[in-house]
Amino acid sequence: MNKRLGGRRGGRLVALLTAMIVVLTGLACRRAEESGPSRVEIDPSQLSSREWPELERRARGTTVNYAMWAGDEARNRYFRGPFADELRQRYGIELRIVPLGDVAEAVNKLLNEKGAGKTRGGSIDMIWINGENFGTARQGGVLWGPFADALPHIGRYADEARQRDFGTPIEGYEAPWQRAQFVMAWDTGRMAAPPADIPGLIEWIRANPGRFTYPAPPDFTGSVFLRHLLYHFGGGPEKFQQGFDEELYQRTADQVFALLRELRPALWRRGETYPANPRDADRLFVNREIDLTMSYGPAFASERIARGEYPATVRTFVFTSGTIGNYNYLAIPFNAANPTGALVVINHLMGVESLLDQSRRLGITFPLDPARLSAAERDLVAALPRGPATLTTEELASHLLPEPAVRYLERLERDWRERVLQP
Amino acid sequence: MRHGDRAKETASRRALVVIEWLGMLVVLCGAIGPLLLLAISSIAHSWFWPALLPGEWSGRAWSYVLAPVAGVGEALVTSLLIAVLVALAALSMAWPAGRLVAQRDFPGKRALLFLLLLPVLAPPLASTMGMHALFLRYGLADTLLGVVLAHLVPSVPYATMVLTGSFSRFESGLEEQARTLGASRFRVWRDVTIPAIRPGLAVAGAFAFLISWSQYLSTLIIGGGRVQTLPLSLVAFQRSGDEPIAAALSLLFLAPAVLLLLGVGRLMITVNGKDGQ
Repeated sequence: MNKRLGGRRGGRLVALLTAMIVVLTGLACRRAEESGPSRVEIDPSQLSSREWPELERRARGTTVNYAMWAGDEARNRYFRGPFADELRQRYGIELRIVPLGDVAEAVNKLLNEKGAGKTRGGSIDMIWINGENFGTARQGGVLWGPFADALPHIGRYADEARQRDFGTPIEGYEAPWQRAQFVMAWDTGRMAAPPADIPGLIEWIRANPGRFTYPAPPDFTGSVFLRHLLYHFGGGPEKFQQGFDEELYQRTADQVFALLRELRPALWRRGETYPANPRDADRLFVNREIDLTMSYGPAFASERIARGEYPATVRTFVFTSGTIGNYNYLAIPFNAANPTGALVVINHLMGVESLLDQSRRLGITFPLDPARLSAAERDLVAALPRGPATLTTEELASHLLPEPAVRYLERLERDWRERVLQP
Repeated sequence: MRHGDRAKETASRRALVVIEWLGMLVVLCGAIGPLLLLAISSIAHSWFWPALLPGEWSGRAWSYVLAPVAGVGEALVTSLLIAVLVALAALSMAWPAGRLVAQRDFPGKRALLFLLLLPVLAPPLASTMGMHALFLRYGLADTLLGVVLAHLVPSVPYATMVLTGSFSRFESGLEEQARTLGASRFRVWRDVTIPAIRPGLAVAGAFAFLISWSQYLSTLIIGGGRVQTLPLSLVAFQRSGDEPIAAALSLLFLAPAVLLLLGVGRLMITVNGKDGQ
């Protein structure tokens, strides 16, 4: 009886397994085939001569695969929802998001593909990129271009947005898009006013032992904090813009690291440990273990207030001497299957109209050069809603410092480990 | 005197029961505590130190995670599809390998065992990068099939180990007896072999499923962003620090694994009970 029961079960199991294997293998193969996007190729050297409407006509009916960092709810919703609808209606382009946890993942993928000789039909048509990732991608020769200077909308960006990205010459291989700038945050419920500049901050740290820390470099935010100290001791950003001067670096970095070592006992947990990333630092800030926190996103505190992660009394500030900012960019991979469609989408994202929409929905800092806007456009920018903790576009723009060349950044990050973390 | 002894005995027995229940409670807290914390943080709006519970609640995380725009449903289906395919493929590879290792003696058996287990020892990053280069050449990169193959690498060794155990306890004489009594090969397979190793099959299949279910790196590299599984979305939100959404995704991520464990546990218990009869 039992034996028969077991037998029948076994039979059913076998039938079920066989059916599943057949169905699932079929599904797997079908899904694998789906990934071949439509192919519209174009030669970058002919770009400038080509009429833009003709390009838009050719891009109609194609699919653009956009690889972007996908850790932000508002951005995910916007690009999969209203923005994708807009592209469909206006250009007949289907936008497909390739979500990334980290942009370096996509750059590594492209480098691998280049190594394996996959030079056509790649699965990414455009990518959100900047700084070190752009440097790596350029060095590896995995970007398509030059294309940026042929885009109709590029003229509205300040010249510096088109020249260097962390010291790497852009040369038309990425198009400027949004702007980021370092800000610090404090809670008005705990502290009346924050320090005004770097010397003030240093004084404040000494006077309030245990109430300050910064994310451990090479974390991006901790690293930009070090760069502010570099500018402070080096007399401003100018000398650090091009190439790498070993002597200048040594002289300035000695002062930076001497200060950081001296401040260590006054830091959170006496500087024996540091938060690994801004997220951990945020948690310390919210839990009232530290009184100041920092970010690369000028609107970060407003977003966190809206999400209930920060008390409504938090505000942001910049140093009177300015804070470092950079642009982030859109680039096209060397093996993109649909560069034509990518060009149309990138140019659209850089337009005044779309940027205003992005500012309204995502709270991004309006990135275009005010001097290149019409009076009516400037009014629209001034009227943009701003979170309770976000500084105005003018305040940010008038305190903007450029990034140093990428070599300074790399050396600071590496030497911090040896000279501050474990001296 | 005797009465006192009995009282003492019941008292100590009672104490023992209390200790047992306390122990059980600790285990339960350990198991349920983190889940509860995840559930709370997935609906927390403002949760500031030193408050024990969130000051406000919000359905934001769940309304995003469950919205079609988040793509979580698709990721869930993709994850399931991959994990089931991996489990089936791993079983069909581990079956003959496990049987061979368990029931036959041959020169180089130890070396073969070592080779079978090697994928578990090799650093996943190195082997995945190598696989990626190979898969690019054969057009398997960026495809679901490629991801399934990549997940098989860490799954097959475990499945093989489990089935080796099952087959080493399996009396293969039973198969011969059934054949002698006139059963067809298929019938022997269905009525003798499978019922005998069913607990092993269930455990090996569940192992392979769970290993595939929790893969991140190999999906990322081989899938190239085109094959979106649940761990990929989960990691993106964990890194960005959006805790409610990360918590909601973690719970969704846990659910199938818990269901599977419950299912496998039941299957094992039924089979053991039957064996006892």
